Amino acid sequence: MSTMNMVQALNSTLDHIMAGDTSVILLGEDIGKDGGVFRVTEGLQAKYGEERVIDTPLVELGIVGMSVGMSLMGVKAIPEIQFQDFIYTAFDQIINQMAKMRYRSGGGYTLPMVLRTPYGGGIKGGLYHSQSGEAYFAHTAGLVVVTPSNPYDAKGLLISSVESPDPVIFLEPKRLYRAAKIEVPDEDYRVKIGEAARPMEGDDLTIITYGSMVPTVLNTVKKNNLNADVLDLRTLLPMDVNAIISSAKKTGRVVIVHEAPRTLGMGAEISALISERAIEYLYAPILRVTGPDIPFPYRLEDYYMPSEERIMKAVKRVMEFR
Amino acid sequence: MTEMVNEQNEKDVFVRAYTAMVLSRTFDKKIVMAQRQGRIGFYTPSIGQEATQVGLSMALDHDDVIFQYYRDVALMIHRGVPIEVILDQIMGNAEDESKGRQMPSHYTAKKYNFMSVQSPVATNLPLAVGAAYALRYQKKNTVVVATFGDGSTSTPDFHAAMNLAAVFNLPVIFLCENNGWAISLPTEKQTKVEISEKAAAYGMKGVKVDGNNFIETYRATMEAVERARSGKGPTLIDAISFRMGAHSTSDDPSKYRSQTVEEGSEKDPITIAEEQLKSLGYLNDSLIAKIKEESTKMVNDKFDIQEKIPAPEPGTMFDDVYAEKNWIIKEEEDDIL
Repeated sequence: MSTMNMVQALNSTLDHIMAGDTSVILLGEDIGKDGGVFRVTEGLQAKYGEERVIDTPLVELGIVGMSVGMSLMGVKAIPEIQFQDFIYTAFDQIINQMAKMRYRSGGGYTLPMVLRTPYGGGIKGGLYHSQSGEAYFAHTAGLVVVTPSNPYDAKGLLISSVESPDPVIFLEPKRLYRAAKIEVPDEDYRVKIGEAARPMEGDDLTIITYGSMVPTVLNTVKKNNLNADVLDLRTLLPMDVNAIISSAKKTGRVVIVHEAPRTLGMGAEISALISERAIEYLYAPILRVTGPDIPFPYRLEDYYMPSEERIMKAVKRVMEFR
Repeated sequence: MTEMVNEQNEKDVFVRAYTAMVLSRTFDKKIVMAQRQGRIGFYTPSIGQEATQVGLSMALDHDDVIFQYYRDVALMIHRGVPIEVILDQIMGNAEDESKGRQMPSHYTAKKYNFMSVQSPVATNLPLAVGAAYALRYQKKNTVVVATFGDGSTSTPDFHAAMNLAAVFNLPVIFLCENNGWAISLPTEKQTKVEISEKAAAYGMKGVKVDGNNFIETYRATMEAVERARSGKGPTLIDAISFRMGAHSTSDDPSKYRSQTVEEGSEKDPITIAEEQLKSLGYLNDSLIAKIKEESTKMVNDKFDIQEKIPAPEPGTMFDDVYAEKNWIIKEEEDDIL
């Protein structure tokens, strides 16, 4: 056991993966000498050399495209996109190459690659260092989309992602990079892709969340003594439908919390799944507490992020609904 | 020519190249006709680009990797991909390597180191760069080729790939099949400079070559292959030809251009090859007639046989999205089938 934050957990896991598998190559902007702008790859180039930890030119579509080409030749590429906000020039590569290679080659060509990128707000990053674009990726067949909410899951999900035969978008909630230190086992373990966690059990209502909002939700539940079932999805594509539906059936009251904008966000899909499968169990409408449908503001970001007050407002509404 | 091919087999090598060009031309005409008859949905013919593609193929080894685009039938034929494999893809039948999922002209031929063709142009170029990086890392002395049209040179992917290949000094050959037209846009409206000159901006070798001349293209590609294999980095080859056909069977080029190269004219790459090989004493009129006749018979026969292969089973459309179907796909499959 070691006590570590999410950055340390990711760094030591990447180190361990590279030590055990020489076919793994990391590439991205400033990930080598500089160790990455968030220091997730700190020290890895010094240890594994410039050929395996590549400081690339500043070109996101090239980083993703090269990673696809590498993976086709049997190298396990783990590219980093410095901020998820910068990923859009690589969107064509992600949607039309990365996600479709297996399908369009009839299963002949496969892409076991893991694209890591920090996402979300809360670091005073303004419009272009704060976005939560997870729904764009979760809308794309062929991709797996995961996001850890703590150092333990970060390690277990990263190992599972690297072992996955399918391409994974690994979203790192940058606000939580150094938010908490917890005990992380030194040995290998896996957090299964497609499996949600239930960090709190309760009977009165279900709160479904993931990534950066998990600590906010847990603090809200504790502070207000809510008897809530809290689901941390961990995998956004494919979501753990059984966990979602069984909890919704148990409590009959559901609040969904995410930082991304409301319209067509993950909450819309979760709400639809529950409506289709468990509407007769519900005592109240399914409510969403999300970022507003505006670009991410710099100075006023505290108003943007879902807060304890906003979560409690939704909780009260579903609890008091008649 | 002797510096490139063994003298004893030069005749065989050149006649095989010519035969592949003729077979490709015959194939293209057959498929365009079949599309008009409603037997094929769509097609992007290579007519006019046979010399470019065959000249490229002649310089490559089996282990070399090709990230091709959707107009490379002569390249595939010369590399040994059976006509049946190409037909299966165009027909989207149950034997097709991509299980009928892709529209015609989007081939995959793994056994021959052809990757899988995408529609969005030039997105194969960064993949070729990554593949070359991986192969060098694995200590394989393999060359990676990306083919694309002149329109692709305007894309960000072209720029990214050229820059990355040069920065990492990778064994990549970028072969621009410059047929003069990106659907309706002529090359002079696509770019202000010669495509080969763009290479200088990235610090790589750029070569302009007569893509209507298979021997010239072969020579230029051989030099690029040698540069790549000896660690001297990437090359951009601008192979100039003319798209004698339409962009695709859905395109009517009479709306935007006049036909400047007629089939069989002295600018037709196949006519040029015939003149070259006749003057070398490798071909004569009766041999040419025989090759053409055999090509026609082969294409017609194989077309009729492959046409009888049924469509893939409906359930196959849910396969290969992932290594294993997730619950979403299983549920949707149950619902639809």
